[in-house]
Amino acid sequence: MSVLHEGPEPPRHHGPVRAPQSLAGGILLIALAALALWLTRDLDQGTLNAMGPAMLPRWLAIGVGLSGIALLVLSFMKDGDPLERWSLRGPVFVIGAIVAFALTIRPFSFGSFATPGLGLLFAGPLAIILGGYATNEARLRDLVLLALSLTPFCMVLFGDLLNLPIPVFPQALTGLFPADWSQKAVLRATAGIMAAAAVILFLTTRNRRPAPVDVADHSGRI
Amino acid sequence: MGDFFSNLSLGFGVALSLQNLGLAFLGCLVGTLIGVLPGVGPIATIAMLLPITFGLDPTGALIMLAGIYYGAQYGGSTTAILVNIPGEATSVVTALDGHQMARQGRAGVALGIAAIGSFFAGTVATLVIAALGAPLTKLALVFGPTEYFSLMVMGLVFAVVLARGSILRAVAMILVGVLLSTVGTDLETGEERMTFGLPFLADGIDFAVLAMGIFGIAEIMRNLDHTEHRDVVRQAIGRLLPNKDDFRQSYKPVIRGTLIGSILGILPGNGAVLGPFASYTLEKKLAKDPRRFGRGAIEGVAGPESANNAGAQTSFIPLLTLGIPPNAVMALMVGAMTIHGIIPGPQVMTKNPTLFWGMIASMWVGNLMLLVINLPLVGMWVRLLKVPYRLMFPAILMFCCIGIYSINSLPTDVMFIGLFGFVGYVLIKFGFEPAPLLLGFVLGKLMEENLRRALIISRGSLETFIERPISAGLLAVATILLVIALLPSIRKGRDEVFTE
Repeated sequence: MSVLHEGPEPPRHHGPVRAPQSLAGGILLIALAALALWLTRDLDQGTLNAMGPAMLPRWLAIGVGLSGIALLVLSFMKDGDPLERWSLRGPVFVIGAIVAFALTIRPFSFGSFATPGLGLLFAGPLAIILGGYATNEARLRDLVLLALSLTPFCMVLFGDLLNLPIPVFPQALTGLFPADWSQKAVLRATAGIMAAAAVILFLTTRNRRPAPVDVADHSGRI
Repeated sequence: MGDFFSNLSLGFGVALSLQNLGLAFLGCLVGTLIGVLPGVGPIATIAMLLPITFGLDPTGALIMLAGIYYGAQYGGSTTAILVNIPGEATSVVTALDGHQMARQGRAGVALGIAAIGSFFAGTVATLVIAALGAPLTKLALVFGPTEYFSLMVMGLVFAVVLARGSILRAVAMILVGVLLSTVGTDLETGEERMTFGLPFLADGIDFAVLAMGIFGIAEIMRNLDHTEHRDVVRQAIGRLLPNKDDFRQSYKPVIRGTLIGSILGILPGNGAVLGPFASYTLEKKLAKDPRRFGRGAIEGVAGPESANNAGAQTSFIPLLTLGIPPNAVMALMVGAMTIHGIIPGPQVMTKNPTLFWGMIASMWVGNLMLLVINLPLVGMWVRLLKVPYRLMFPAILMFCCIGIYSINSLPTDVMFIGLFGFVGYVLIKFGFEPAPLLLGFVLGKLMEENLRRALIISRGSLETFIERPISAGLLAVATILLVIALLPSIRKGRDEVFTE
């Protein structure tokens, strides 16, 4: 993976911290250890002869904490890497897309909060379009096209051909089709409509694109 | 010896049935298709494609999964050669010389020799597994909980020594991994540990969810941070079959790479990762003119690719004979086997010989498939690689969501890949490598179980681990390794191997 990293930056010193990355890592480990110790505080440790549920987690947490302290101490003694560049946009949109998918794929209730189950038909495009905005190069038209073509593909592949137990569309949708149609027929018809919509969208908006980009020249973000 | 052949012929009888041939073919094809995508390694590929094997019979499912695995591996090499983006740690080395060859218009030859070397390595590794399978299974019978625990400790020490970067960080990651594995209901006392009172955590963290989050989603987030030019080769791919000169230069590296890879792959603790690095270093040392390396030397592709494939295959040995997954990919295989009601370990071979030998024979079939599928399809992979990442990652994201949802039909699983993805992203940003964490998680439950049993048998005396000879030997190896890795002179050499 080292190939992907940007070139090493010259070490910069701000105060006594000589390896900011280790400092942050150390704090993270100590926090994790503290959390684990707090969570297992009420559990019985037992004896070596009959280990209780807390024995291993507690000792592991102590080990994690000690590693954290070692990293922390080292960060003041040895030069190390600076913290890498962060951006919030990527993680926020990616996690947002995942949560949106999870909440819409089937009815989900958490306490008093409940969502309707919309199935892959809505969850898929939602994940693609929302997730697509994780990069600032996102273009709505391309994402909609992608969503309209990939979703029917997945519906047919997972719902029809592989018979996986994944909700494909909301029950209300069957009401729109003739009553004697089977679930599979509704699925295929919906997928067909979406694919057709993708083709129409592609054909009608094709000319509005700015000059065609030579794909081979495209500098993909990676 | 007679057993060896009758077992293999039993295996080929299973693997060559029309249905299983088709499944191996399909597995290799979709595995390569997903594995070719930049930033998607074999772990994410398998986790994503696991659900499509659910409807099959166990033998067929495992044959298809093995096909997916090889396909994903080969897809990673293709990406490394054509785009200089290694999909996973093991193809980093291939990218060095492979991409240079591609820039010189020899991409076809690089892909060709990678496929041919992999096929040769796969053939040898298949024979190694067939030969070692039966004796190692017998060895497993003399292993008690004490020995199992020590063996796993040794595996984790291996993983620490082989991990890139600081040893302290690798140790911390392993401890965190084992700690994560203790989340959930304690099997002996039935008490809930660290579940925050959440019902879906009572069964513990699902391995596929953790792997998908840390290797699939975190990778997407990390890639989004790097605005880098993806230089898909624009030169012609060129002829695919290496000529006489190429063969003359590369047959020895292939043989050496196969040997190194096969041996390292057997080691518990993800030894397979080291294979390509070791092979590359060796070829560079042996070469008459080492300066050619990094500038498109065919040996730099042939050796590491063979080592990679040999290791990928022999890493099945600890899983099939001892029931210990040596790396994350094998842990996913455990998950797949459990879904089909098979508990990996020495009893698989005796209770389920058609599955065991069928799978081994299908490894060879899978390697042949790769050769047959990939060379003609290179043009298609090149086109796929030209799709910009801004369109590729939303698709990957949706496939991840669908894949993980289909495993347990739980929306919470989907949310957890987001959470673990973020955790993985933070860890990468803080300079931690997620691979040791995953291995610690994989072995954690087994370790706790065996530690408890061993201590009950010894009535709470820790000395049992050094009193029993096999266990003492394993722990001694682990200690020696750790000490060696910490010696300053070796550390320098180790850093060199990984920075090359």
